[in-house]
Amino acid sequence: MKKLFAVPSLASILAIAALALQPALAADITIGGAFPMSGDNAEYGQIFSSGANLAVEHINADKMLSGKLSIVYEDSQATPAQGVVAANKLINVSKVPFMLSAFTGVSKAVAPVGARTKTVVVNGGGVGPDLATLGEYFWNTIPLANFEVKIIVPYLVKEKGLKRVALIYVDDPLGQAIVKELGTELPKVGGELVGSFSIPTTAQQFSGVAARVRDVKPDVVYFATYGNQESQLVKQLRDNGVSQPLASYSAVDIPSVQKLPEAKGIIYTSQQIDWDKQDARTKRLITDYTAKYGKKPTTYVVNYYNSVLTFGLLAAELEKAGKPVTGENLLAQRKATDKFEFAGSTVSFEADGTVKAPIQIMEIAGDGTGKLLVPGK
Amino acid sequence: MLIVQLIFNGLQTGALYALIAAGFSLIFGMTRIFHAAHGATFTIAGYAFFEMYSVAHLGWPIAALTAIAAAAIFGMMLDRWVYAIIQRHEGSFFTVFAASFGVAIVVQNLIAMAFGRGLVTISTPLSKSIELAPGLFVAPMLAIVLVCAVICFALLQYLLTRTNLGIALRALGENPTLIEVYGLTPRKISQFAFLIGSILVVPAAILTATTSGLNPSMSHHVMLISLAATIVGGVGSLRGAALAGMLLGMAENLCLAVIDPQWSEAVTFVILFLFILFRPGGVYGRAIAT
Repeated sequence: MKKLFAVPSLASILAIAALALQPALAADITIGGAFPMSGDNAEYGQIFSSGANLAVEHINADKMLSGKLSIVYEDSQATPAQGVVAANKLINVSKVPFMLSAFTGVSKAVAPVGARTKTVVVNGGGVGPDLATLGEYFWNTIPLANFEVKIIVPYLVKEKGLKRVALIYVDDPLGQAIVKELGTELPKVGGELVGSFSIPTTAQQFSGVAARVRDVKPDVVYFATYGNQESQLVKQLRDNGVSQPLASYSAVDIPSVQKLPEAKGIIYTSQQIDWDKQDARTKRLITDYTAKYGKKPTTYVVNYYNSVLTFGLLAAELEKAGKPVTGENLLAQRKATDKFEFAGSTVSFEADGTVKAPIQIMEIAGDGTGKLLVPGK
Repeated sequence: MLIVQLIFNGLQTGALYALIAAGFSLIFGMTRIFHAAHGATFTIAGYAFFEMYSVAHLGWPIAALTAIAAAAIFGMMLDRWVYAIIQRHEGSFFTVFAASFGVAIVVQNLIAMAFGRGLVTISTPLSKSIELAPGLFVAPMLAIVLVCAVICFALLQYLLTRTNLGIALRALGENPTLIEVYGLTPRKISQFAFLIGSILVVPAAILTATTSGLNPSMSHHVMLISLAATIVGGVGSLRGAALAGMLLGMAENLCLAVIDPQWSEAVTFVILFLFILFRPGGVYGRAIAT
């Protein structure tokens, strides 16, 4: 009698153990995103999440992972304080091993939370150069602003002959980084920063700033801000008699600025995406995004698509190796991976967690699109 | 010439601020309700005008009437279906504020869902500056803003001082209990306060749409201006709101002659702080014996 019961008991134990193991191997995974879903920068949150959501859909459709991947968002409102709240919710409550971030100030606030909890945080939108120094758990899938400034300054000064540059910048880590980069790069090519005007992130009236800018008689006005403030600034500069060319960085590559009549002719830099790359991944991203949203994806969409794809590729490798999907293991796997086949590019991560990508120079055409002036190298 | 330019800029900004603050000051002064959704009224009016003028191309008179109707209906409905109910149940000042604040957030999100989260503007040659003198750029919009402000305040002054409704409104602000003795219904008069206060915000909303644009989250900025101007000008004083709005707009622009633009908003709050410290009743505030 005892033997009869012993065998089923052993079998039961083995069966239960097998069942218990199965869910762990085929566990659904949740990752997070701390984006501005409300407030003046909510437009970015909409764009970033559209790219991330599409990547999640594709990863699940391809069954890249053994379980289902989902993404949960918390509203950072593009402020450091709210960003930290959002990150804490994602990491400590939702227990995500991987989260997306954006905006320089937010990312700098959130990075220590990720480092402390060994959670990978990936930025695909913020471009402050400091973002390369936030520790090994903070990665960037977007080239940082110092590269953008290094590309546009010689073009403006040497090619266009616009030597006297006035700068309007938002009073936050991004703006301060741009001031520093322009101050360093301009003298190298014979340019001069004739005036720099810092504006609060909440400012909406710029007629006075326009007067100050006109007063310094620049050849070109470079502005470094983001969100609704960009459009307000551009419109009011033009309405208040600033007729000089305007220049900026990749943050102007959003629909509200691209469609603004007063923004026509703005020269800006952005990350070059090889839209003609003939691989299935790039084609599928373009086709599916266009079908879903009625427009072509932008660089921000691609960056966050690739950020989520990075997670998918790394997590798939970890699952193959039988390792749990944790931040520590994701980091180790990234270091062990030589190249990533992103949509629109093939990249390698540098030791500091950044990726190098060519920077192109564009001009706002006035019809909602950008015109390529100088391709990236 | 920079100073002269900044004076002209300050006049335009100040007139806009005066118009924005007048409606809030009227409502708060007469009803003692902290109408935190006043910014939402502004946003609704602006987007209603944008939709009718720029999207439906119906011409500015129809667009303006639509904006007026939208603002008035929103303000009155809020008073009737939110504030009145809270007050009937003897809700506290803070309960009303919290409800109003909640409504503002709901409106912000509804507008974002309907119109998107990016900035929308109305392009018009009236906002483009003309160089009147070397270094002095002035847009036709300045004249429109000033004329609008003068007309609105003149009409309001006439209403409050020469009509029975105006007298009733002022009485409501003085002593809502006593006016019942005279057979007046505070609730009904309060509705008029919200009607007029909401309509007052419409010119500022339309003019803002053509100068700095509209976005769903602009209501909090509108509230800050309204609150600052109401405190500086004196609660319930429309003259005060007008003067304070002008003062704040001028200060915000003139300070740019000597300090960096990043501090210009802080100037507004320094002025507010000084008034709270040294003249808490505001410019036209009245001392109350207790």
